[in-house]
Amino acid sequence: MVDASVAKRLVEVIIANLPAPVPGKRPVHTIGMGVKGEFVASDVARTYCIAEHFKGQPVPVSMRFSNGMGGLEQHDGWSDVRGMAVRFHLSDGTASDLIATTLGEFFVRNVADFFEFAEVAKLEPYRRRHWLLKIGDFLRLKVPRRNPYPNETESVDAGALRYADRHRFSQLGIFQVASIGAPESYARASYHAVHTFWVTAPDGVRRPVRFSWQPVAGVRNIEAAKVSRDKYLFKELEDRLKRWPARFMLMMTIGEEGDALDDPTKPWPGTRVRVAMGTLTLINVAEDQDADGERISFNPCRLAPGIEVSNDPILEARLGAYEVSREMRGGCPFRWRPDNANAK
Amino acid sequence: MPMPSDEGPIDRFVDRLPQTRLFKFLASWILVPFWAWWTPVKPLPGGPHPSFQRGDNVQCMMNLIMPLKDKSPVGRAHAALAIAQNKDAIFAGLNNVGTVHFARFVIVGDNICMFSVYDGDFTNYIRDFIATIGSVFNAVVELVEGGEKVTPCEKNVEAFIQWVHERDLYQVPDTATDFLRDQEALNGDRAVSPVNDDLTLLPRKLVLQLRANANVSLGSGYRAYPGFSAAQVRQRLELGW
Repeated sequence: MVDASVAKRLVEVIIANLPAPVPGKRPVHTIGMGVKGEFVASDVARTYCIAEHFKGQPVPVSMRFSNGMGGLEQHDGWSDVRGMAVRFHLSDGTASDLIATTLGEFFVRNVADFFEFAEVAKLEPYRRRHWLLKIGDFLRLKVPRRNPYPNETESVDAGALRYADRHRFSQLGIFQVASIGAPESYARASYHAVHTFWVTAPDGVRRPVRFSWQPVAGVRNIEAAKVSRDKYLFKELEDRLKRWPARFMLMMTIGEEGDALDDPTKPWPGTRVRVAMGTLTLINVAEDQDADGERISFNPCRLAPGIEVSNDPILEARLGAYEVSREMRGGCPFRWRPDNANAK
Repeated sequence: MPMPSDEGPIDRFVDRLPQTRLFKFLASWILVPFWAWWTPVKPLPGGPHPSFQRGDNVQCMMNLIMPLKDKSPVGRAHAALAIAQNKDAIFAGLNNVGTVHFARFVIVGDNICMFSVYDGDFTNYIRDFIATIGSVFNAVVELVEGGEKVTPCEKNVEAFIQWVHERDLYQVPDTATDFLRDQEALNGDRAVSPVNDDLTLLPRKLVLQLRANANVSLGSGYRAYPGFSAAQVRQRLELGW
């Protein structure tokens, strides 16, 4: 169990590394929009998991799509991790959350790694690499660092690369962050919950699983040359939903003995069984963005009976860190299940 | 060294440099050969990674590219004929062995290629096929450079399996960093942390591997229903055996 002081330090080091912290807002994924929708489980979902939202009846859903960066500056066209936090509203007034991002794997294994990463990957001045140095990179068949985005003066990229060069476990996550790009739409990106969860089937069999949302409209990034488009994602989704609902499929990959169950830096092979657990339909942008976009507070450990957390130390740390962050920004508290309330 | 933050004409020119014909020429004829000489790279071995995990041992891929001895349309026609004349034997072999999802023979330029997806161990897969359709292998491999050394395959079982393995393409992993791990493993480097890597060298490492290993499979295969064997699919679809 990560104690409260560690959870608080986690949030504090994130805030300390922001260019312009915004009190009363999320420290990261600050810019986002709330969306309403509905989830309908597939016919086979109930055979893998007894959770209420996998039984097949339509379940109302609240979502928040977000840009990964902290602060109020909105740079939709910059290469950045995007978030998709989903709340399944259950019939007894409780909920089950599923928080996913466009990052396939995380870049640290545990809290100690995270504190070291935060120490190394601090904000530093970010400038265009001199053309002579770039030519040197080309001659060595290396990738020069990217050019700064318009008005970008600071970045954590150089520190993150230094960290990755020292720790192989982090390289996949950091490489993905560096090459992730910007989506054409929030509804045209795949989102991954990164951590392993355990699901219980009606026959009592427990399986380790990882969840991903796959867009029915397909994955598509904007061209790298269009990075100067700062604000388009909100309007694009609003316009899209006025024309037609957008959909995501919830895919569940089943792990095998020997797979990394407690390490979010390690991917599972593409040879694992994948099950289509249901379809999420985005219906409309929430009218009350303050309540349904800003004050709504998700937590990756808020789970319906039938889904449990793994021993992943990062998942465990997020339980407390999300609550600390919620309290700091005055986010809306939400009722926990009686049987996991003590974990909070 | 001055570090201007604004973009000048030289910056714009240098940013476009890798796309110019001059740089591509320079890279192909000078830079890549130089770095291949200065930092030699061993070709990574072909076939799937050894694994005890069940999901990794179903729907495995074999990708053989075999240069024909006779590099003429007549030689290619001989290869086409060798397959066409053995159609019944191939179907009988598939049914008898029961671990193959599909197998394809493809002529690409002066090569005959065999691409297949099979369940279980690679050596058992080839051994089973030698037992059931050895004559087909002989008919094809006799047309291939170096094939005479391992035919008839029924009398050269272990040499034939090794010969096939050496021609099975390296399967570039799905993630860029797993490609780095493959190279480190080949060089006996199993360090995790702390290390002194340079991730920006990834392009050079990939280029040099593709120079040493010109034909590769990209990714480990994209499966619509991973984790199921040919036997399970047939059983679930009630196709009998």
